[in-house]
Amino acid sequence: MIDILVFFLAASLLLYILMGGSDFGAGILELLPAGELRERQKKVINHAMGPVWEANHIWLILVVVILFMGFPKIFTTLMVSLHLPMLALLLGVVVRGTMFTFRHYDSIQGPRSQGAYTWLFGASSLWSALWLGIIAASLNRGLIDNEAGDFWSAYVAPWWGAFPLSVGGFVAGIFGFLACIYLLGETEDEALRRRFRRWGAVFNAWVVVSGGGVFVLSLAEPVSLARQFLGHPLAMTTLLLATLLCGVLWRFLVKTRVVWSRVIAAGQVVLILLGWWLLYAPNGAITVQGPLSFYEQAAPEATLRQLVIALLVGSAFIFPSLVFLLRVFKARRPGEEEEH
Amino acid sequence: MAVAYGQAMDDLTAARATMAFSLGFHIIFAAIGMTMPFLMSAAHYLHLKRGDKVSLELTKMWMRGVAILFAVGAVSGTVLSFELGLLWPGFMEHAGPIVGMPFSWEGTAFFIEAVAIGLFLYGWKRMSPWVHWATGLVVGISGFLSGIFVVAANSWMNAPAGFEWVNGEATGIDPVAAMFNRAWLHQSAHMQVAAVQAVGFAVGGVHAFLYLKGRAPELNLKAMKIAMVFGAAAALVQPLVGHFAGERVAELQPAKLAALEGHFKTSTYAPLTLGGIPDEDTETMHWGIEIPGMLSVLAHRDPAAEVIGLDQYPKEDWPPVLVVHVAFQVMVGLGMLMAVLGLLHFWFLKKGKFPRWFLGALAASTPLGMIAIEAGWVVTEVGRQPWIIYEVLRTQDAVTPVPGMVYHFLLFLILYLGLGGMTVWLFARQIRVTQRKVEAS
Repeated sequence: MIDILVFFLAASLLLYILMGGSDFGAGILELLPAGELRERQKKVINHAMGPVWEANHIWLILVVVILFMGFPKIFTTLMVSLHLPMLALLLGVVVRGTMFTFRHYDSIQGPRSQGAYTWLFGASSLWSALWLGIIAASLNRGLIDNEAGDFWSAYVAPWWGAFPLSVGGFVAGIFGFLACIYLLGETEDEALRRRFRRWGAVFNAWVVVSGGGVFVLSLAEPVSLARQFLGHPLAMTTLLLATLLCGVLWRFLVKTRVVWSRVIAAGQVVLILLGWWLLYAPNGAITVQGPLSFYEQAAPEATLRQLVIALLVGSAFIFPSLVFLLRVFKARRPGEEEEH
Repeated sequence: MAVAYGQAMDDLTAARATMAFSLGFHIIFAAIGMTMPFLMSAAHYLHLKRGDKVSLELTKMWMRGVAILFAVGAVSGTVLSFELGLLWPGFMEHAGPIVGMPFSWEGTAFFIEAVAIGLFLYGWKRMSPWVHWATGLVVGISGFLSGIFVVAANSWMNAPAGFEWVNGEATGIDPVAAMFNRAWLHQSAHMQVAAVQAVGFAVGGVHAFLYLKGRAPELNLKAMKIAMVFGAAAALVQPLVGHFAGERVAELQPAKLAALEGHFKTSTYAPLTLGGIPDEDTETMHWGIEIPGMLSVLAHRDPAAEVIGLDQYPKEDWPPVLVVHVAFQVMVGLGMLMAVLGLLHFWFLKKGKFPRWFLGALAASTPLGMIAIEAGWVVTEVGRQPWIIYEVLRTQDAVTPVPGMVYHFLLFLILYLGLGGMTVWLFARQIRVTQRKVEAS
């Protein structure tokens, strides 16, 4: 039972990063200078994200529900120790979701209001991506302390520092990169495609650089990602593979092979997450008092069984409907104008 | 939520205020998200059947509203799922495994809703008209199911079931029994009918107002009629559902019933008090109108039945009587008013003509349903205090140890007031544009 749940948890997180992440990346991309391409880019992003962003967003809710029903102790520990970054993340999630929708559905599309929506959407996308990375980094650095006496060590120290911030930058880079790869297949506009390719390269370089930064900065951490990595050949292999795939990806990108580019970019993210997972499994978090393993912190069997049933039955509804959604919208007929 | 003068809000009060405000904000959007798709589908149906352009304009106008409100509802709902842990870790640690099940089903329903809304909003030219119409209906159905699941989870806090509480730990957990606890049916029924009622009146009221102003009369009259069919029907059913809920509360949570009726002393032939201000210190009601024996009849179907009063409970286990009683009076009073309006609506609909005074009354009653929903949630939630899990765990023992909760509260206060303001502003802009469009054609 626990294995199935951990699988669902990991799968939901992965899908949130792949699908929701590229929505965040689109926001980050809109924050960057675009000159005369701004309006065209906005239109492409609206059409690409509009029908799917709500569904992409729900993977996050699924992660939360699996955690609080299946692994309540891990959930509450995180919600107490990482209260502040969670709050910051929520703030960003609320602002970006609403601003994206408001921008599209405002009946009067004035330049000033549209500009404000776009800026808020972009800034909150970057903000949320950073905090998502900070939270991810805080899980396993061994500073979460449920018995801490003072405010700093209980609620700030677990996520404070250069290392979590570098992970935040890394995550933002991945999101931006995913968005570029994804959006490349959403338009026939050659100028825009050039832009997505160029920024894809920039984000890719940034991911490599910030990834290196994560590695170096982690050396000073109580539980060091770098040292763990070096002692784990399998995890190292996955990371190496992810890096090597960059070369393959560039060949497909240059030729604008949309589907292959997407598959490989997604594969890279899967490999990175897998490496991360291999390092820390089966722990949901590492605290000062020791690791919180999914196997030791799980809810009673009766609860797990119900959760698995709900997830399996839910999947039987969710996946066909998602496939239908993608078939309806991603079978793109060029030049067609949407009406809504 | 009493704030002591001269000092900042304490953390428990701030956490409760945050939760209350977040729920109070979300419930408006959730109610609209559950109901509005049905209104929209009705208009869409009329368009597809008869091919009239006004129904199409109406569908699209409502659709844009649904898109905006759904987004706000989705993100504020996400906030709530986090806040359960951010504000009440002591609750979630115990309650998560017991009552997580309805949440997991709600997740599924919400997922389907999100997929369906994407299909409906953007799929006008990508599907056959009736398939497209059906996706709009699926938004409503899955939204409605989400609502039932979430309220079932809430009802467990009022009628805890599916576990045994031994030495501060839950054992023998049965999530199915927890979900189908003894309060789930009446709470879900009451809330779902309330959602339809409140949204029917809100939408009907706005369109009645615009009709009276002489703007796009055909569109607004049609909109008012569609919305009010839902609102009026729900308003007529609600007193029965509410009565059923009241009977269950009398049985499951006598202290809550006593507080909402301001019933201090256990008695037979208990009177029903209309209005009135309860005084907790002297344990008396001031200025209420008493109907002898009526409370006994309503609670237990027998004028001679004994109705348990607050005197059966130690004072530290009392909910805040004044707040609960006033909120209850507001909810019931508005519910009765809406039932009368609903009856009149069907009468005028049958006659085929709506007098201006009635449309004016509808316009004036735009916010009534939403106010009643908020009041009803105050009754449910404040009436359960001081317990977070009724007679098992106290709210003060479940609150987060994180200090400075007042800032958390202020953050969401500002954020949500801003979002609420923007939503209203967007609607005003949208109504203006649609009317211009209809009037021009």
